[in-house]
Amino acid sequence: MVRPGVSTGLGGPPPEPGAAVTTLGGGQVAEPRAGELRRVWRYLLADPMGRVGLVLFVIVVVISVAGPLLFRFNAASVSNSSNGLLAPPSAQHWLGTDELGRDVFREFLSAAHVSLVVGLAATAISMVLGAGIGIAAGYYGRWADTVLMRITDFFLVLPQLPLVIALAAFFGQNLGIIILVIGMTGWPTTARIVRSQTLSLRERQFVTRVRSVGASNLRILRVHILPNVMPLIFANTVLVIGGAILAEATLSFLGLGDPVQVSWGTMLHFAFESGAIGRGAWWYFIPPGVGIVLVVLAFTLTGHSIDQALNPRLRGSR
Amino acid sequence: MSSESSRRTFLKRAGVLALAVPGVAATLDACAAVATSAKASTIRVGWAIEPDTMNPLTTYSTEAVEVLQLVYDNLIHYSLKLEPEPGLATSWEYSADGKTITYKLRQATWHDGKPFTAADAVFTFNLIRSKQISQYAQWVADLSSAQAPDDRTLVLEFSAPQAFNPGLAVPILPQHIWQGMSASDIQKDANSQPIGTGPYKFVNWKHGQSIEIARNDGWWGTKPAAEKITWILFQNEDVMGQSLRTGAVDICPEIPPTIWDGLEGATKVKTVSMESFSFHHIGINVSDNAQSGGNPLLKDLTVRQALSYAVDRQQLVNVALAGHGEPGSVILPVGFGDWHLDIPQDKQLDANPAKAEELLEAAGYKYQGSATVRTAPNGKPLSFRLIAIETTSVDVAAAQIFRDACAKVGIELTLTTLDANTLGATVYNAKAPNWDIFVWGWDSGVYDPDYLLGVPLCSQIGSNNDVYYCNREYDQLYNEQSVEIDRAKRLALVHEAEQFYYDAASYIIMWYQDKLQGYRTDTWKGWTPIRGGMILNFTRDNYLKVQPV
Amino acid sequence: MSRLRYIAGKCVWLVVTLYCVVTFNFVLFHVLPGNPVRLLARSGHLTPQAVADITRVYGLNHSLPDQYVIYLGNLLHGDLGISYTYREPVSQLLGQYLGNTILLLFAATILTIAGGTLFGVIAANRRGGGYDSATVTASVIGWSLPTFWTGLILAFVLGVWLHAFPIFGMETPNAIYTSQFQRIEDIASHLFLPTLTLVIVNIAQFVLVARASVIEVLAEDFMLTATAKGLLPRRVLWRHAVRNALLPIVTSSALLIALVVGGAIEVETVFSWPGMGLLVYNAVLNRDYPVIEAAFLVFAIVVLIVNFASDLLYQALDPRVRES
Repeated sequence: MVRPGVSTGLGGPPPEPGAAVTTLGGGQVAEPRAGELRRVWRYLLADPMGRVGLVLFVIVVVISVAGPLLFRFNAASVSNSSNGLLAPPSAQHWLGTDELGRDVFREFLSAAHVSLVVGLAATAISMVLGAGIGIAAGYYGRWADTVLMRITDFFLVLPQLPLVIALAAFFGQNLGIIILVIGMTGWPTTARIVRSQTLSLRERQFVTRVRSVGASNLRILRVHILPNVMPLIFANTVLVIGGAILAEATLSFLGLGDPVQVSWGTMLHFAFESGAIGRGAWWYFIPPGVGIVLVVLAFTLTGHSIDQALNPRLRGSR
Repeated sequence: MSSESSRRTFLKRAGVLALAVPGVAATLDACAAVATSAKASTIRVGWAIEPDTMNPLTTYSTEAVEVLQLVYDNLIHYSLKLEPEPGLATSWEYSADGKTITYKLRQATWHDGKPFTAADAVFTFNLIRSKQISQYAQWVADLSSAQAPDDRTLVLEFSAPQAFNPGLAVPILPQHIWQGMSASDIQKDANSQPIGTGPYKFVNWKHGQSIEIARNDGWWGTKPAAEKITWILFQNEDVMGQSLRTGAVDICPEIPPTIWDGLEGATKVKTVSMESFSFHHIGINVSDNAQSGGNPLLKDLTVRQALSYAVDRQQLVNVALAGHGEPGSVILPVGFGDWHLDIPQDKQLDANPAKAEELLEAAGYKYQGSATVRTAPNGKPLSFRLIAIETTSVDVAAAQIFRDACAKVGIELTLTTLDANTLGATVYNAKAPNWDIFVWGWDSGVYDPDYLLGVPLCSQIGSNNDVYYCNREYDQLYNEQSVEIDRAKRLALVHEAEQFYYDAASYIIMWYQDKLQGYRTDTWKGWTPIRGGMILNFTRDNYLKVQPV
Repeated sequence: MSRLRYIAGKCVWLVVTLYCVVTFNFVLFHVLPGNPVRLLARSGHLTPQAVADITRVYGLNHSLPDQYVIYLGNLLHGDLGISYTYREPVSQLLGQYLGNTILLLFAATILTIAGGTLFGVIAANRRGGGYDSATVTASVIGWSLPTFWTGLILAFVLGVWLHAFPIFGMETPNAIYTSQFQRIEDIASHLFLPTLTLVIVNIAQFVLVARASVIEVLAEDFMLTATAKGLLPRRVLWRHAVRNALLPIVTSSALLIALVVGGAIEVETVFSWPGMGLLVYNAVLNRDYPVIEAAFLVFAIVVLIVNFASDLLYQALDPRVRES
């Protein structure tokens, strides 16, 4: 499930096929050029939103990569007595204990790792699918375009959370399935955007020139189209990650996650189920939520900023 | 009485910054803006699982029976001491050989006004017997005939003596409503307006919200004080616990351990813990079926004993149940009183990883090189699949503890969690059960050892027998106890059966959970704690006997 | 004339998509693994007779293509099958739950659109200022919040801690109302927290969309002309800008429905609001295929119809767009 990006350009509400591109739709994009990356990077550093995003991004990486290595979580470290269950923070347990007596701080770090891995993997699938379909539709046009876009519209219309729930429910509850399911429902928006860009690229002078010289389709795709679509895909990816992480958290919260490989969503699920709310065990149900928000923010802000870097028109609206 | 909504001014909706401050006047006490009656006249029960149907012939849910037992009468009911007391039958008599039971029936009226006669009882028993339908079918398996020599007498003839009187289990249905229905009609029938002879009449069921029944003033027994009983469904047990605190419900019959602990000391709430008739267990696939997908190494008793020794049941109780339970051993829970066989601790296959390793070494299951998993003499590793129900968090927790405990003695378990239905379908695949070990549980269907003892029978393969255990000697012991009317003799036989099955180690019973319940002290009084729970138990008498405060 | 053709084309497309959704639904839920007969019994002791009966009752003895045809036929009659869990017709069950969800969706959608547009327009008007940044920041944070977690926090703070609102269900159980208004008040107080959750999480989209589109319009030539003509800035803003900015808002609304429908499941679970989301959640736990199938269909149809309506609305509002 991908929430259509909050940015006012990429990932925004897609226009009806054939209808005029709205002033906000994902139609007009700046011309791709070499040195793009450095320009984007400099923009990111200058833009306040981009700066915050980058900082959060670094924090997130540290937490999810270094954290679990420094503070290992042992899922089997359940307490022996019934005393240490849902205990408040102390010197020994910085974020208290969960309903099985385990250290919440370490669990939090381990869950960060899981949540991110799922988010990234699912996004990778979404992007490959979305970009692939978008490029194919945009480049080959005619039949391929109509068919692929109709399919895309169909999947856009299907309510995604119910679909994801149904698939996860039937195919089991391990991380692999969750990743697959989220990945397979998150591609439509990307496909649309990539298609628009590919379409406009195809008609560009340099492509027609190269084609007239006799270059094969594959070569054109690989050498000319793909590199110029990449920045767009990249910006979109960053936004899609946020949606994927939210989707995983939701699935896990509803009880469809992997109960053994705990993610933030799963932590919240067990907090909800074991009465942590009523007991006021804030150390158990607040940190995972805050973690999710920070991670999603990191990707959203960064993505939003990259978006604006690539699309100068949007900058005027700041 | 109190509710969880407080006084509130109705906020206007049109684009107001309702997103801002919640500081509009709110009193924090439990005064309701919406009134519920001053002196309690309704018993409000809070629970987290809804019945599946109001059709007594198709339901398998404890919650459904909880409601239906107040709408329908049995011939005999359980008293607050869990002893048989007259229901629709004022008295009953066994013949000398124990194969015939004669019941004397009382006058009663169905909720729709028609009179109850023995014909209705005959009809009910015959229906269950002939269509082999419902969870009660097993109690009439031996029924050879049901007769009504007159309107007030019922005679049931069995092909073998019945230690358990089926009159205790079977609800009596009205012939004039159920007659003429085929088996598939019955399967499809939601029975949304059940008609019985019971102390309460069914009012309505708002799916996902509540079920309501109202007092039947024409009932034959002592008029209960509660005019109505409502069961309120909570999606979340934490919220359910909160509702007890705020007084939105009067009693909760099934509170999870950590939430129950949180209710200790809450004002006007009394928490009660009672022994239950249920257990959770680890089941090992010992099927002899050639197509079984179960790991054949599990058929070796030594391996099963090692698995049993590896785990510390007290630790499981401490962690998964927050201490609210007893470590498990034999198949009859401690709630069954003297029927439960007390095996001395040193004779139990429990909490002794050293012994587990000793047994495995002696039998030739050794570590090859630097492996962490032992190998059998035939070269196969001691590696098994473990499944558990994902929504039962205590089972998932126990499964993880079990897995880690086994790893310490050189047995590897890979845990997969499944939804309840898939687990059921996987386990209960008699033709080719493709699983090794599961974590699950049992509730006793009736207050008699017969139900649980009857699970590991050869004849129950394809039915209740979830581990496909089959042993003629055990069957023999079961048969003897099920026809033994003399209690003392039966007790000895039951104990023997329990020990026999315990030694086979195909069930590793983890714990007997306590029934954790709570009630408000300011609405109804007279809730009597009994084994198995004040409500959601085999007796309905607490509902009938409580008085308003 | 071409407008009529456009509408007709859209109708055809709607029907085709509906058909695809229905078929997709069938494939998804009937080809999936699991033995329905076992699922139905759930207790383990099934006599062969019972198995045969259940198979017949639920139509499982037909071949898959036959089941499909039967399924389509039943749909046209409004027969959505029989719930495995409750053993009663699914359409009856849906009837009980659907209305409650529609109430929630309606309240949440209206408030989100209204509130979002309002904040967005104000932010656009005060572009560059503190209010603007604050609004944008709050919106972005709101978007990053998981719906269910927001619900949990609101439930904890406003419900458990401050005791200000009820956190469970739709009405006070066993309530005796002295008037119809009191009942409405009771439901409204129960509706508050779930709606608030959905609004907080989804409003960001609207704030930013409204803001950006108003800014764009403000920069257009005709706006400068209107200001030059001496019309009061306030009226200029509200009359011209907003009306022209409506278009992307309409498109966003269609998308909002899809999100709110998904969010409804989370919110109904947290607050035990007796609606479709809760029905789906429980049906998923119990693997009650007919219910999940029907609910999924309903969700898809709702989204489809809203999209269709928004397309038409879009046409009506924007004279510049013509399908050739």
